[in-house]
Amino acid sequence: MRKIHINSILIIFALLLSIGASFSLAQTPPPKPTPKPHNKVRKIIQNSSEMPAEKSIAVDAGVNISLCVSDGKLKINGWERNEIRAFVSGGSQVGFTVLQKKKTNPVWVKVLGYDPSTNKETDAEECLAGDEIELDVPRNAIVNIKSNSSEMVIDSVGKVSVENAGGDVFLNNIGRGIEARTYEGDVTVENSSGAMSLFSTTGNIIAFDVNASEIGDIFKAKTSNGAVTLKNVGQRQIEVGSNSGSINFNGEFLTGGQYSFGTSNGSIILTIPQNSSFIINASYGYGVFVSEMPLQNIEKNTPSKIQNLSAQMGSGDASLKLTTVSGAIRIRKQ
Amino acid sequence: MKNCFDEGTIQAFLDGELASDLLENVARHVAVCDGCAVLMAEAEEESAFAFSALEQEFNTLVPTQRLWTKINYSIDKERKSVWQTVFAFFSNPTVGAFASLLVVFGLFVAFLSWQNNAPVNSVAEIVPNNEKIVSPIFTPAVTIDQTLPSDNLEDPQVAVAKQSKKDFQIVKTDFVKKENSPKANNQLKYQPDALNSATNNNLIGEESYIKTIATLEKTVNSRKDEVLKPSSRFAFEKDLAVVNDAIKRMKGEVKKNPKNEAAKNVLRASYQNKIDLLSSVTEKTELMASLKQ
Repeated sequence: MRKIHINSILIIFALLLSIGASFSLAQTPPPKPTPKPHNKVRKIIQNSSEMPAEKSIAVDAGVNISLCVSDGKLKINGWERNEIRAFVSGGSQVGFTVLQKKKTNPVWVKVLGYDPSTNKETDAEECLAGDEIELDVPRNAIVNIKSNSSEMVIDSVGKVSVENAGGDVFLNNIGRGIEARTYEGDVTVENSSGAMSLFSTTGNIIAFDVNASEIGDIFKAKTSNGAVTLKNVGQRQIEVGSNSGSINFNGEFLTGGQYSFGTSNGSIILTIPQNSSFIINASYGYGVFVSEMPLQNIEKNTPSKIQNLSAQMGSGDASLKLTTVSGAIRIRKQ
Repeated sequence: MKNCFDEGTIQAFLDGELASDLLENVARHVAVCDGCAVLMAEAEEESAFAFSALEQEFNTLVPTQRLWTKINYSIDKERKSVWQTVFAFFSNPTVGAFASLLVVFGLFVAFLSWQNNAPVNSVAEIVPNNEKIVSPIFTPAVTIDQTLPSDNLEDPQVAVAKQSKKDFQIVKTDFVKKENSPKANNQLKYQPDALNSATNNNLIGEESYIKTIATLEKTVNSRKDEVLKPSSRFAFEKDLAVVNDAIKRMKGEVKKNPKNEAAKNVLRASYQNKIDLLSSVTEKTELMASLKQ
């Protein structure tokens, strides 16, 4: 009988221990500390001279230029020379580092906020800062910019990729494509061509006289809290979206084009020529659909408050998809 | 031999099957009648032979009896105490050995779990962190009261439009520090569940949208105070409210009529708008972090 008791106590103890261990394993492991960005405080190398900082470097015609701007107005201008000239007033120094060369000419250059040939600081701030920052670059150059807070004007370069945390972006005469993103500010594109992707969070997007440089170039524009205004956009595939702003399209729908316009709480206004040819498919909720143009083959489904309308104008060469939750859709004569 | 009984009566007498008065008569008669006594003896012999031959068969219990025996046994067994059964079970040496193994296993698992917890803390101590601690913020959804005309459906070619009112009323916007706040943690944790519960199966891929949004919301809620300026923050909250309102309305429409393709399209677009809006905050965070590196 004593043996039985010992065995019983032993097994109960073992079971309790196993249950305890299982519980401890089943519990969610303590959250791992979230990796935090290395907020190194880099030293801004101020230009001690009374004269503005200025440097230049000979490069390839199609050079790829990378730079970051922490603060200041940035102006980039394309010129005919195969040379980069950088100018900063009232702020940091300026310098270059060549990341890649082709034969003797640099093909990838980084513009710095200090001169690496003279400055030996290990933690120098790479981003440019100043009252005015100007760069002259070859006309065919590709420019990549990251910025914290900057108003940018970029003119006459090959290709642009911009990401700006705050500030307006003006792009003019860009030859082979644009990727522009600003989180607080407007994006304006003029007289440019290529594939375009324009994005703003709290700002307007304006594009006029833009075209495709190659077949299949897409035009995308998206803003959350602003309007999108497009005039004479020549890409055949257009995707435009706004959350609480209106969309204005003024121009013609090209043959074979696919156009998609969507808003949550804004109007879609299309101002088009009278000889336009398209098939329209519109989904709209609490707004209205108004057309000044004679539409044919109208099919309207109103199973609920959300309505679907499909119609055709002309021979239906382009395809339009319009979506709005509580805005109006208006088609106007040009 | 007068009044002698026949063989059947004698056999019945032997089997005890006669009535009591006839039984007495037969007994008195056999006592005085030699012939009947001989007959009785012969019948007894025959019966003894027959019984010896059928003894095994007679001793076997009829099924009913077996059943009763089994029932009684079961009742007896149940009456036994549980401990008696347990003791009986544990008295087995194999069980004892197994118990010992379990003890060792339990100790091993407990030790392992203790070991697993230890390095997490040590890593947290090793990582140098001189920065200000980021306080993740939880923001409850902002409700929006939007008055819109509902019966303004007009023919396409009638150029009369009634512009909807756009009066946004932000009812409540509370910001609660998430830091060690179980309430906030729970709310955050349950957000996706709440969304999931609202999911209807009418829209293909809706779950994917909801999961993505839940993940993004978690990230954005912990960072938006750090990244967005007050003006941008206001715009963000307003936009979020607009999108949420659109999603809510469209969900209602799809629920009412699952075949309403227009509502489905708008719902998809609204989900995408929300994803884009939330992504813009995370992308801005990434940009600012990359510039600080």
